[in-house]
Amino acid sequence: MSALLTGAAWGLAAASLIAVAALIGVWWERKVAGRIQMRFGPQEAGPAGLLQTLSDTLKLMLKEDITPTAADVPVFRAMPFLVFVPVASALVVIPYASGWAPFNIATGAVFFLAVPGLSVLGILLAGWASQNTYASIGGVRAAAQMISYELPRTLSVLSLCLLAGSLSTGTIRAEWRWWWVPLTAVGFLVYFISSIAEVNRGPFDLAEAESELVAGYFTDYSGIRWAIFMMAEYGGVVAASLFGAATFLGGGLGLSGVPGALLFVALTALIATAMIWAKWTFPRMRADQLMTFAWKVLTPMALVQLLAVGIALAARVVLS
Amino acid sequence: MSALIFWLLAICAGIGALAVVMSHDVMRLALGLGLVLLSTAGFFVLLGFGFLALAEVFVYAGGVLVLVLFAIMLVHRGEPGQPSLEVTHDPLILVGCVGVFALLLAVLRPVALQLQTSSGGSVDALGSVLLGDLLLPFELSGLLLLAALVAVVSVMGGDRR
Repeated sequence: MSALLTGAAWGLAAASLIAVAALIGVWWERKVAGRIQMRFGPQEAGPAGLLQTLSDTLKLMLKEDITPTAADVPVFRAMPFLVFVPVASALVVIPYASGWAPFNIATGAVFFLAVPGLSVLGILLAGWASQNTYASIGGVRAAAQMISYELPRTLSVLSLCLLAGSLSTGTIRAEWRWWWVPLTAVGFLVYFISSIAEVNRGPFDLAEAESELVAGYFTDYSGIRWAIFMMAEYGGVVAASLFGAATFLGGGLGLSGVPGALLFVALTALIATAMIWAKWTFPRMRADQLMTFAWKVLTPMALVQLLAVGIALAARVVLS
Repeated sequence: MSALIFWLLAICAGIGALAVVMSHDVMRLALGLGLVLLSTAGFFVLLGFGFLALAEVFVYAGGVLVLVLFAIMLVHRGEPGQPSLEVTHDPLILVGCVGVFALLLAVLRPVALQLQTSSGGSVDALGSVLLGDLLLPFELSGLLLLAALVAVVSVMGGDRR
């Protein structure tokens, strides 16, 4: 019973973390996008427009929650949650301290890769349940894309598991050494790119391409349900950035104590900012380019990375 | 406590299985299949096989089910409000289903009674079995999958452009 309560508490903490991160993240994204496009971004509400997202959230909560008459009503209404919950659950296996994650299981890395992948079901069914051609096309695109990019992402994390000799995220962070960074640089790049594709953000946002599909799979959603989809997207960015900083970069590059924690937060913010930067810099990819890139560029890169790690580990055994 | 969770999961799996058989809507049917797969993963967790549960979620719920849905969405588009699947309930099918169920029960019950909740099924043990005693069958099944993949590409004609 207490295990269930602890789990519920951590789940609540993860959802709150995503809510706060989305509040700050949307503001930060609009500021960065503004700078890239030579504008100021939000600046009216509060100092430097900091209260803009808060007022937007209030507006979204007060808006009418519309369900289209043709939609499959129970499925349509449930899908935002099926997208959000798996993404939020990824946050409980991230090693926030050396050797420690809230849900510290022996297969934490597999959990991190497998469970958030369930949100693709929610996206696919949200597109279908809307009974809308744009939404359906968005759902199908998202499914093809997320399944393809899962493979290089898994392979890139696998090289870390090989180095640590464990699938536990806590152990990966505890075992982290500085020479992992140059050794897994290619793997980190693959992880970074495929993480952007996993959360359907630009330049991989074919599933919600506004110039062709209005808003893709969430075209028919409004008000708070639309906001939950957006929260899931930011949750995905936060989870991918936290995991990347905590494992590939060893938390605070191996530092402990307060400097380590601060560096961990800074590196996470840096990865998230790089994702925003990529979105507002690169043009959207075409569907066939997307698939070619996943299967002919990223997957071989991840495999070569895995081979390099294997050779390095074998060489270490031979030399010592 | 675990008995309560077991029965909750069992009810979920039962509802999902019924939806797969009875539903007229292909999407509801696929959702039911998802429910069955996730409940199965829950059973694995209850028995202490965490890795197996995650593999079930990863491969079946996150991969195979999505491909099934993907295929349905590409080839099948029912009119809204219309049943998109002809489901006939023949008594003979019921007899067949009950027969298969009884057969499975008879075969699996002795094994299931020996199954104890364990902390076994650790990843280390699984890894040493797969890459130790079972190395050859493991690698051969990988080779078989690769051959199937190459065969599909060659049947489809590869890149025609």
